[in-house]
This record gives sequence, C-alpha cells and structure tokens, in this order.
Amino acid sequence: MNQEPKKAQSRTHDLFSAFLGVFAAFALITSPWNVDTEGPDPFYKGPLIFPVMVLAMMILASLPACMRLLSPPADSTWRLDGEGYPKKTLVVLGLLIATLIGLNLIGLEVSAWLFLSISLYCLGHRGVLKLIVLPLVITGLLFLVFKHFLGVFFPTPLIVEWIWE
Amino acid sequence: MWDNLISGAVAALTLANIGILVFGTFVGIVVGILPGIGPMVGMVVLLPFTFAMPPDVALSMLLGVFCGGYFGGAVPAILMRTPGVPSSLITSFDGFPLTQKGEAQTALSAALLGSFGGGIISVVILIFLAPLLAHVAANFGPPEYFAAGLFGVTLVVMANRDQLMRGILLLGLGLWFATVGIDGATLSPRFNFGTLSLQNGLHIVPVCLGLFGVGQTLLLVERKILLTDRMNLTRSTLDFSKLRVTLRYWKTLIRSGVIGTFVGLLPGTGSILASFMSYEAAKRASKRPQDFGQGTPEGCLAAEAGNNAVPAGAMIPLLTLGIPGEALSAVLLGVFTINGIYPGPLLLIKEPVLINTLYVSIFLINVAAFLMLALLLKPFAMIVRVSTTLLAVNIMLISVIGIYAVNTRTFDAAVAVFMGVLGYILLRMKWPVVNLVMGVVLGEILENRLRESLSIGDGNPLIFLSRPISLVVIILTVLIVVIPLYQDRRKMRRQVEGS
Repeated sequence: MNQEPKKAQSRTHDLFSAFLGVFAAFALITSPWNVDTEGPDPFYKGPLIFPVMVLAMMILASLPACMRLLSPPADSTWRLDGEGYPKKTLVVLGLLIATLIGLNLIGLEVSAWLFLSISLYCLGHRGVLKLIVLPLVITGLLFLVFKHFLGVFFPTPLIVEWIWE
Repeated sequence: MWDNLISGAVAALTLANIGILVFGTFVGIVVGILPGIGPMVGMVVLLPFTFAMPPDVALSMLLGVFCGGYFGGAVPAILMRTPGVPSSLITSFDGFPLTQKGEAQTALSAALLGSFGGGIISVVILIFLAPLLAHVAANFGPPEYFAAGLFGVTLVVMANRDQLMRGILLLGLGLWFATVGIDGATLSPRFNFGTLSLQNGLHIVPVCLGLFGVGQTLLLVERKILLTDRMNLTRSTLDFSKLRVTLRYWKTLIRSGVIGTFVGLLPGTGSILASFMSYEAAKRASKRPQDFGQGTPEGCLAAEAGNNAVPAGAMIPLLTLGIPGEALSAVLLGVFTINGIYPGPLLLIKEPVLINTLYVSIFLINVAAFLMLALLLKPFAMIVRVSTTLLAVNIMLISVIGIYAVNTRTFDAAVAVFMGVLGYILLRMKWPVVNLVMGVVLGEILENRLRESLSIGDGNPLIFLSRPISLVVIILTVLIVVIPLYQDRRKMRRQVEGS
C-alpha cells in the first residue's frame, strides 16, 4: 500500500509521521477517560465509535514510517529541503505569541504597532517609513475596522488598570 | 427556475452586494498576483469579517476572492514565468515565450478572455446541472450521504497518492480535530483534556486561518523579494485590439470551460489538473500542435479557461451534496454552516433566492475581474514589487486579530497560532494540507451520517451495501483506490523489468 516516492526521503518526514502516530495512540488509549460514554446509547450510536475509527486509521497509516524510522534505508538522511534553519520565522512566531499576550497586557494598539515594527526590523526592513509610519497606518486601520466599525470588545490593558490603581 | 434566477439577480444587483463583490474580486486579484499567497490566504483573512454580513453578501465576497485569484495568477505567470497560483504554471508555458517575443499583450488578452469565458461557461453549467444533481440527491438518506462523503475524501486522498500514508494521517488528524469538544448528539464532552476552552471544539475558522493565514505567511518570511526586471508591458491597460485575435479560438474556449467545470466538480482534483487537461485537449485538437510551448495565445486561453471554470464547478457538489471538493470550497461551506445553512439537495428548494444570488454573483465577479484587470493591468502587475515579508507580517497580524474578533476569545487566536505552526511544518515538508482541512470540514458530516446509518441498521454495517445508491458509491470508492494502485504497481513492475 505504501506509495511514497522511492527516491531518498528525509527521515524528518518519518519522524513527523511517527509523532502523529504516537499522538493518535495516546489519544486512543486515553479515550475512555477523555470521552464521556455514560449515556444510554449503544456503542454504534455513542460518541466514541468515530474517534476510535479515526485514531486507529492514523495509527495504521503511521506504521510504515515507524518501521522506516527503526530500520532506515541506507541512503536516508535527516536533511529536509536545504532551506536551512528558520531563524527569522521563529523570531516572527515568537513576536506573534508575544502580541497575543500583549493584547491583554498593553492593548491592541501598542502590541500591534510593536509587532509590526520589530518584525519588520528583524526581517531587514529599514527606514522611518517602513518601521514607524507603515506600522502606525496598519494599526490605525485595525483600530478603525475592529474597534470602530465592527465594535469588537478588546479588554482594557492590564497595565492601564495597574497604573490607575 | 427563471423566477428564482430573476429574484437572485435582483438580490445580487444591490449596491451592497456589488460593492462587496468588487472588493472581494480586487483582493482576489491582488493575492492571486502575489506568488506564494494565493486566494486561500485572501479568503481566510477575510473570513472573520463575514460574520457581520448576511450570508449572500459574505459568500459573494469570498467567491470574489476565489475567482479573482485565478484571474490574477495569470499575470505574473505570463510576464515573469512566476505563477501567482499553482494552476497558472500551465499558462506560463506559452505566456512567457509570447512575452519574450514582445507579445505580452496578446498573451494577457488570451489569458483574460480565457478566464472570463471559462468562468461564464461554468456558471451556465452550474445553473443547469445543480438542480439535476440535487434531484438525484433528494433520494439520499444517511447511508448515501456517508458513502458520498467517503467517496469525496477518498478522491482527495488519492489525488495525492504519491504521499498516500501522509495524506491518510492528515485526513485522520482533521477528522479527529472535528471530534474535539461537545458531541452534538449525546452532549458528551470529548477530548477536551480537562480544559473548558476546548469544550467549544476546534472550529473551522481558526483552523483554516491558522493553517493558511499564519502558516503560509510564516513560510513567506524567509522568502526573498521577487526580481521584476523582465516585466514588459507596452501600455497600462489591456490592448483590446488583441482580444479580437484571440476570439478566433472560441471552440477551444468552450471546450476548456466544459473540461474545467467537470474537473472542478470532482473532489480533490483541483485547478492544476483542470488547466493541464484543457491545455492538452487544445493541443490535441489544434492544427498546429507544434506551436504549443513555443508561445501560442491558444495555450494561454485554454489553460486559463480550464482553471477559472473550477470555482463554479466546485460549487456543484458543495451546493447539492454539502461536500466541498477542495480547501477553498471547504471555507465556503464554513460560511454556510456559520449562518445556519446546511448545503444539500434541499438547499435549492429551501433557499432558491440565495442560490440564484450566488449564480449571478459568480457571473458578476467574472465581469468585474475582467474589467479590473483589463483597465488597470499595469498597476496590478506592479503589485509583485511589494516586499513579500512586508505583506507576510501584516497578513499574520490581521489573521490573529481577526480570529480574536470572531468570539472575542484569546484562546481562538492561540488555536490559530498553533495551527499556523502546524501549517508551517506541513507546508515546508510539502505534505498535502488540503487533506487536513477536508477532515476538519467533513468530520462532523461523516460522523453524524455514520451514526445515523448504523442506527437505521441496528448497528449492522451491511446497511451501506443493502441500499443501491450507497452500494454503487461504495463500489466506485473501492475502484478509485484499487485501480490507481494497481496501475502504479504495474508501472513499477515494468520499470523494474525494463532496467
């Protein structure tokens, strides 16, 4: 059944497949505790039948990768695509997570402006226009669209509450 | 039928609908022109804004992005041999050689005419075919729906059969994501791992926004700015005199539009196959097949007519069976369900005005996209000069704030970021992410229909084989798995014997 290409594949693919398989096995084993089956329904009407089928399918699909991981072909390698370590991506991801935390802490406007300015700086953009003016314009647009037009509720920044107290 | 069509036209021609449709088309063209972004990112970024809109207007906007993306994708493919959307790669086979010969305007005229013609032909087929299919689907019960859903996901998995096991893994993961939260039938909590936040489940909006709005843009962060030195346009608008030249290929236009619609109708096939099949059919039917690949407008026209017929084609199974054929129509299904509308055979009877509004909207989108690109060709083409990283961080921020805005829950934004990381990993490893999306979208439908079918059969799975329609669909499902695998094995055996 396994139709993966025969050319040398990165072992990273197998590792990720195996990870998903192990996760599925964990979810399957713990499903009696994670799914409430106390209702009167027989198994085929109950909430567990479909997850059991799906998780079993995932485990079966990950088996070839697990086997390859345990006994790798001679020409296999861990090299993925030669694009290198995603340093910039990780920095931007970190900043994005910080922005999420910042939404509650310092508010939409400041966190959005800071995210854009710092991300653009880290990605090699320079100049007042790109690092200050453009983030200000985008932040202004976000404020207008979400807060003004759509009336979305954003919590009062915690930092403001602390200062007032 | 005609009364409903007129009512649909009246609803589609309101100022609000036209305004939003033009906006969606504009966004679609922009994201289509920008290589690496594409209509999916455009649709998911706009998704949170649709919550404040009536369903017909929301769908018109997203359909505008869907169709506009295919229109826009041809521009960088022809001018720079850099397809804006994957299916435009076929357009570049003849488009770029024409540009090198100084005939970029001819290539663009053919591509735009092809996109426009393909779009219109597919709408006409949609109008006539959807009621016929809905009539057949009216006899469907839970076993037939389950079999049809199974057929759809099998087609999607088999479309990426070079990564069969990975495809099944991702489909399974998507189906499992769909089970997280409160079970609708028994109200039992499932897989919430003791957290209240997961009780609401993993909704399609944060999942799609995360996978594409965040994941795709995280991938773009490392990308270099495109070189645009070779962009060669003689004037800022389309040269309309070249349109007459390309009108000679009207037979190719009709053939490609029909091929594209029927390819779009099948789940998992996608627009690349539609473009490629239309291109090959045009080459075979041409009196000068040797010109294909050297720079013939007929090649551009066929490829674009094929891929632009896909959106309307994909609407046929979506509207009549509630089964999306690809990730883009899965997002549209999300909009339907968010508004409490469940696509299926009864939709055409229950919501005739909405459906006909969509038909007319797709027609108007094609007109709007054609006019926008024809009149503002150079400004649109210049968009490729915008830095990809600059766009990436902005799209990322809008996605995260947008998803927070839907339910004002930071947890949803966190889900989107988590899905973004997963999407980045999958996209970087070139795994078929569409399987994951299909799993999330179809999970609830498949599960409910399976449990209903088993209830009808008192727990006996033979219920699926005891009803003629579901039996035929299940046999078809088995065949689409067995035949390609058998063919692959035979091919491999021949290769081994040959070497």
